[in-house]
Amino acid sequence: MDESEPFSVRPPPAVMRVAERPLEADHVDAVVVGGGINGTGVARDLSLRGLRVALFERNDLAFGASGNSSGMIHGGVRYLSRAPKVTESSCRDSGYIQRTAPHLLFRIPFLMPLRSGPTARLMLELVDAYFRAYDDFQPLKRGEPHCRLDPSDLARLEPGLVGAVVGGITFDEWGVDGARLCVLNAIDAIENGARLHLHTTVESIGRIAGNEARGERYVVEARDRMTQRRVRVRARVVVNATGAWSPITAALGGLPQARTRVRPGKGIHVVLDRRVTNYGIVSEAIDGRQMFLFPWQNVSVIGTTDDDYYGDLDDVHATSEEVRYLVQGVARVFPSVREARAIGTYAGVRPTLFAFGKNEDELSREHAVVDHTGDGAPGVYSMIGGKLASYRMFAQELCDQVLPREFDSNAACTTHVRPLPGGSRVPDALDLAAKNGVTPVAARRLVYRHGERAPRVLECGATTRGGHELDVTCPCEPVLESEVRYAVREEMARTVDDVARRTRLGLGACGGMRCAARCGQIIARELDLPPAEGCAMARDFLERQARARVVALGPEQARQEALALAHVRASLGELR
Amino acid sequence: MSRHVIVVGGGVAGTAGAITAAVHASVTLIDGGTGASTLSTGAIDLVPWTEAPATAAPLTREVQQVLRALDGYCVPDRGALVLTGAGVVRPARGHDAALLDVAPVASGRVGVVRCGRSGWDADALARAWGTRFVAVDATVLRLDGERVLPDPDFAARHDDDDRLGWLADRLREALARSGGAFSALVLPPSLGVERARADALSRRVGLPCGEAVGMPGGPPGLRFERARDRALAGAAVTRLRDRAVSVERAGDRWRVVTEGGDRHDGDSVVLAMGGLLGGGIEYAPSEAALASVLPPAARPALRLSIQAPVVLGSHGRALELPGSLFGVPPESLAPPFARDALLDRAGVLAERNGAATGIKEGDIFAAGDLVADAPRTWLASLSAGVQAGAAAAGDAAQRAGAVRSIA
Repeated sequence: MDESEPFSVRPPPAVMRVAERPLEADHVDAVVVGGGINGTGVARDLSLRGLRVALFERNDLAFGASGNSSGMIHGGVRYLSRAPKVTESSCRDSGYIQRTAPHLLFRIPFLMPLRSGPTARLMLELVDAYFRAYDDFQPLKRGEPHCRLDPSDLARLEPGLVGAVVGGITFDEWGVDGARLCVLNAIDAIENGARLHLHTTVESIGRIAGNEARGERYVVEARDRMTQRRVRVRARVVVNATGAWSPITAALGGLPQARTRVRPGKGIHVVLDRRVTNYGIVSEAIDGRQMFLFPWQNVSVIGTTDDDYYGDLDDVHATSEEVRYLVQGVARVFPSVREARAIGTYAGVRPTLFAFGKNEDELSREHAVVDHTGDGAPGVYSMIGGKLASYRMFAQELCDQVLPREFDSNAACTTHVRPLPGGSRVPDALDLAAKNGVTPVAARRLVYRHGERAPRVLECGATTRGGHELDVTCPCEPVLESEVRYAVREEMARTVDDVARRTRLGLGACGGMRCAARCGQIIARELDLPPAEGCAMARDFLERQARARVVALGPEQARQEALALAHVRASLGELR
Repeated sequence: MSRHVIVVGGGVAGTAGAITAAVHASVTLIDGGTGASTLSTGAIDLVPWTEAPATAAPLTREVQQVLRALDGYCVPDRGALVLTGAGVVRPARGHDAALLDVAPVASGRVGVVRCGRSGWDADALARAWGTRFVAVDATVLRLDGERVLPDPDFAARHDDDDRLGWLADRLREALARSGGAFSALVLPPSLGVERARADALSRRVGLPCGEAVGMPGGPPGLRFERARDRALAGAAVTRLRDRAVSVERAGDRWRVVTEGGDRHDGDSVVLAMGGLLGGGIEYAPSEAALASVLPPAARPALRLSIQAPVVLGSHGRALELPGSLFGVPPESLAPPFARDALLDRAGVLAERNGAATGIKEGDIFAAGDLVADAPRTWLASLSAGVQAGAAAAGDAAQRAGAVRSIA
C-alpha cells in the first residue's frame, strides 16, 4: 500500500456548548479522573463534542500503564479465533491512530521462530493458516501480509538466533510512544477548551442535592500535590478512568468497590542500550508464556511479565527476579542478549478485568463501561480494563453513551479522522536540521515526537537570555533545551520525571548524569521556583532512575553507575 | 643492587605510591590507561564533602610533598568553596588549580561569564549559586565552532599564551563595560590542559579567575594526567604503558606479568588499579557470562580485574559465594536500594598501611579505590598511595640496609 496515502483533514467541528449558561470557571459538564490514555482520550473526545471538561491526574500524564506498556498498537491478532469482530475493530482502530498521528507510529516487523519438536511441523502449518486468516485484516492497519520462513530465512534475517527450528513466520506490529500518545490527546483536549490538573489528586466526589436543574450533580474536590492548593469543580458527569486505581477512585464517590474491581497485573520491561535486532523476536519464557525482544525507537526492549500485584500503585518498580526471568526467556533463542547492556527497566500495572481463579494470562484484556446509576450515582461512569490500542474506540463508546443520555446531544465522534496535534503533516527532519543548525539525529527525534509542531518546539525559549535554546540538554537521546522548555510551557511538565516522560530525556545509558541537574535548572527557571527545587527534582529523578537500572545491572552498566554516583556526589550531593 | 617496587595503576593512588616509594627504592609503574582519576572533575576531598567536618584536617608532610610534585593543586588549610555546574556551592578540601575557590572572596560580587558556550547557562548558574553571583557578558569564543567544542579541546586552546592574553583582554573589557565592581570571575571548564592557566589569567585580568566544576571527562582529568607525567618523570619512575594481568610469586620476589607478555620482578608490589569505576574491580554476575538456561556455578559478584593473591571483601570480611546460580540480587549490592552498598565498598582487604591481608610476606600493598571500605575520594586515595608507597619502599629499604650491614 502507498505509504503516503492521503487522508482528508477535516476542520475541527464548531464547538457547540451543550448547555447555554454563563458559569463560573469551576463549573464544567464533565470531570474526568485519570490522565492515562483512557482519561486523556475521553477528555479529548468529550471536548471535541462540545463539552466543557476538567481532568484530574494524581501523578502525571501516562504515569501508569499507558506510559509503561510495550509501546505497540496491537491489531488484536489473539482474538482472531474467538472474536474476529474484535480483531477487525482493533485493526481498524490501529489504522485510525496511524492516520491521526502518523509521526508517532513506526513499523516493527516480528519473527516467530518455531522450535523443532514432535509437533513443530503441525504447529507451523497451524500458525501459517492462522496468520493467513489474519492477513485479511492487515490492510485496515496498513500491515504487510505475513510471510512463511524456512530455517535459512530465519538465520539470514537474524543471525543471532540459535537452536533447531522448523521454520517460522513474520508478522507486523506498529510501535508507538504511549506517553506521547497521552500527551497529544491531552493537548488536543486543552486546545478544545478542557482544563487539565496534573499532580492533583481527587479527594472526594460529593453529590449535590437539589441542583439537578442547573445540570450539576457532583462536586469534585482535589488537591495539587505539589503546591497543596485545593481545586473544587462542579459537574454533571464524572468519568473514572483511573485504570488500576479505579476501585480507589470509586471509593471516593462512595461507590461499591466491587463494581469497578480490576485485577492489577504487573508487567515489566528491560531496556537495552541500542537496537540489538532489526526484527522483533517472539520467544517463550520458562513457564511457557509468550514474550518478545523487539526494537523500539532507538533501543531494544524485552517484555513482558504478568503477575498479580499487591503493592503501591504509585511506586511500581521492576525487581531483579523479573529481569532474570525475561532475559532467560530471550537467551534461549537469542543468547547474545546476555552480553547486551541493559540500561534500565520500566514497570506498569495493567487494569485487567477482575476474575478469581484464573492465571494472569487468561484474564480478559477487554474493556467495559460501568454505569453507576444502579449504585445510586447517576452520571458517574467507570472505564474498566482496556488496552493502549483500543483507547480511541473505548473513549468513543463512552461518549456515544453519555452524550445522548446526559446532555441530550448527538454530536458525532471525530477522533478517528481529526489529526492529533502535529499529526496533519510530517516535516522532513533533514530539512529541519539544516534550517535550524541542529544535528540530523536531534531533528529526527524531534519530528518523531512533535510532527508538524517540531519547528514550533525549536523556537521555544528563543527569547530567553543567553540563546541556549538549541543547546543539547540530554546528549543520549538527544533532547534540545528548547524541547525541555516546550514540555514545561506547552505540555504541562512540572518535574524532571515529567520532562523525561515527554521527551525521553535522561533515559539513555548515562542515566541522567549529564542532564538531570540542567533540566531541573530549566524547569525551576520556567516555573519560577527556587533553584534548590530544581536540584531537588533532579535528585529525585536520578534516584528513581538508578533504582530502575540497578535491578538489571550488568558489568558495563555497573561501571557507569559508579561514574554517575561519583559525579552526582561531587556536584549535587548524596541522593538521600 | 637496589630493591625494586612495582606499582600497578597510574591514577592518583598509584602516582602517590610511586613518587613516595621512589625516595628510597627504584620504581616501575605499569599503567593501562584512563581511570577514575582522569574522570575526576577537579574538586578534591579527603572525606565526602557531604560529611566533611567544618575544620579541615591538616595534611601530612608526605602528602604535601606529593601535592607539590604534582604541582597543580591547591589545598588551603581553611578548605575551599567550589562551584558546580549542577548549581551547588560546595565545600571541598582542595581543588585543581584552575578551579575558582570562592572562599577567599569573602565579599563582593562574583561574575559568571556569559560566554555562549553550549551548556553553560550563566544566568541559570548565577541564580542557582546565590545572590552574590551575577552574569556578565564577555567575548570568550574566537571562532563560531568553539561554541560546541568539547570542554577539553576548548581548554587546550588556552594553553597558548597569546590566546590566554586575548581572553584576558576580553575579560578586562567586559569588566570595564559592566561598570560594576567584581571580586572574581567564574568561567566554564576551559583554562588549559597542559597545566592550569587560572593564575596566569588572574594576573592579567587583575582578579581571581577560575573554572566551575564540570562533567567527568573534562579538562581537570587531563591536567591530572599531564601533572602526573611530569611528576613521575621528575621522580625517575620507570613507566610502562601496559596492562598487568597477574601478580605471582617468583622465588622470594613478586612477578607482574603484563598483557604484552612482559615480566617484571620486584621486591614489593603496590596495587592501585582503581575500584569499580577505575577498572580494578569488575562486577561479574554469573549470568553475564553464560547463555544457557542455567549457569553451572555460583561465583562472587565482584572480582579483581587481574590475577593476584589478595582477598576481596568489605567490612573486614571476605566476599562469599552467593546462594544463587544467578548471582547476588543487584538490589542488595548497589545504591539507592542499599546504603553502604557492596558495589561502593568492596575491594582488597588491607591493613592500615595498605598491606594486603592474608599475604604471608606482607609485601603486596593496595591503595586508592581498590581498597575495601576506603572513602572513594581523591585525597584519600592520594594519602593511601603515600602510605602504601612508603611501606613498600620502607620494607625494601630495610632489607637493603640489612644486606649492607652484613656486607
